[in-house]
Amino acid sequence: MFEMFQYQFMVNAFLAGIMIALLASFSGAFVVLRRYALLTETLAHSALVGVAVGILAEGSPVWMAVAAALLSAWVIEYLRSFFHLYSDAVLAIFLSGSLALAVTIVSLAGAFNSSLFSYLFGSILSVSEEEVWTIFMVGVPALVLLGYFYKELYFIAFDEEVAKTAGIPVTLLNFMLVSIVAVIIALSIRIVGTLLIGALMVIPTVAALRYRLGFSATVGLSVLFALFSVAAGMTLSYAFSLPSGATIVLCVLLIFIVSLMINRR
Amino acid sequence: MRFEPAVFEVEHLHYRVGDQLILEDVSLKVLQGEYCAVIGPNGGGKTTLVRLLLGLQKPTSGTIRLFGEALKQFRRWERIGYVPQQATQTDRFFPGTVEEIVGMGRVSRLGWNKKWREDDRRMIAYAMERMEIASLGDKLIGELSGGQRQRVMIARALASEPKVLILDEPNTGVDQPSQQRFYRLLRQLNAEARLTILFITHDIGVIADDIARLFTVNQTLATCNDPKTLLNCEGMSELYGIDAHLLSQHHRH
Repeated sequence: MFEMFQYQFMVNAFLAGIMIALLASFSGAFVVLRRYALLTETLAHSALVGVAVGILAEGSPVWMAVAAALLSAWVIEYLRSFFHLYSDAVLAIFLSGSLALAVTIVSLAGAFNSSLFSYLFGSILSVSEEEVWTIFMVGVPALVLLGYFYKELYFIAFDEEVAKTAGIPVTLLNFMLVSIVAVIIALSIRIVGTLLIGALMVIPTVAALRYRLGFSATVGLSVLFALFSVAAGMTLSYAFSLPSGATIVLCVLLIFIVSLMINRR
Repeated sequence: MRFEPAVFEVEHLHYRVGDQLILEDVSLKVLQGEYCAVIGPNGGGKTTLVRLLLGLQKPTSGTIRLFGEALKQFRRWERIGYVPQQATQTDRFFPGTVEEIVGMGRVSRLGWNKKWREDDRRMIAYAMERMEIASLGDKLIGELSGGQRQRVMIARALASEPKVLILDEPNTGVDQPSQQRFYRLLRQLNAEARLTILFITHDIGVIADDIARLFTVNQTLATCNDPKTLLNCEGMSELYGIDAHLLSQHHRH
């Protein structure tokens, strides 16, 4: 099994995968508790618009994905907090709107091919050393920010209004959280793919919630689930030449089902 | 005697949504250490008044001062502990131990490194003890009864060492013995810890002995400065359509 680490691309994929697992599960905990799970799916589709633009303009699809996801996250959060629109309806509009735009752009670029396939479902072969650096350069500050504002984000997840009356800068922290989520999603599309990253953000937390623990313990467990799924999923992807996003999500799903069966309450 | 500004000072407050007038020319004053109650029919504007005081909604016109400072300039939010209406109805599956939830009350007081300090731990323990939930620290919020949850939410508000506690009918789903205990704890907080309390409630009869001042809100606001003797309360209740029998009966026996 360990012979896979003789290949540089597997080392790259594992390094990137570990970082993404940490980020996705940690930020996912706040997203899930705020009943905002659909945000991850929506931003992933927005990131796809960036990928499409990147392919069309022959620029960097990953950085375009980051820009598109960030822009979309800000507009969504702005609409949600200042226009008081229904969150789920706004998300649905952005989800299908982004997909329509992405498909149009990809068609114009004539790029319905295997390279697009790897952005949709993830591919361990595609992670370059440079991308690992990018993921760490952006991922480490994102983790630090999440850790630093952990208590505030938890308070907001529990009761946004009371947090506001306690003097917590709720609007600012909400923008920070959705920005971090947008960036994580855009960066992880190489490994997990746009169509599957939502699962890695949401399922570890939902599985961990089944164990009825306090918040810190739930987050800890969720991070462990994500790390295990990413490691196991990438190993399976290597062994059977399957898209890594799919095997990772199947692993985390398995954990979810086992968690459900253990805790039937 | 040292001059202490009023906790809340509201002047000529109007609040309008579209064509509908929710609050009209409301003026009120709550002094430090007072135990005040707000009553009024559903939809009469009680919760709106509280939300305006907390800056969660913006008034159409009028001024609000908190501890002598205009609402816009006010930054010392840790002085105000707020327990909202839905306090007893938290999500049953929310991952949070009692201690984690009470700890939220200290978050706005944390230093730059965001670590709990000795002070924080002491206040969290004090708030839990005060609300008689010290033994429930490791329990999940979802496993508690309505009455226990209510006390957790008040402990969270107390943990920030507030000067005033605003309670917006946090009584839903709380059984009678727990209610009694809750009223006793509030009375003690007011008397012993000299905490100002603004209590929005239906249960005016039960706390009539405790309160110093009663506000009735039904679009406009009337103040009753002597709820115990009901000198000017009965007329007021007729005017505002509030059942004052509870009050009167309570005082006749």
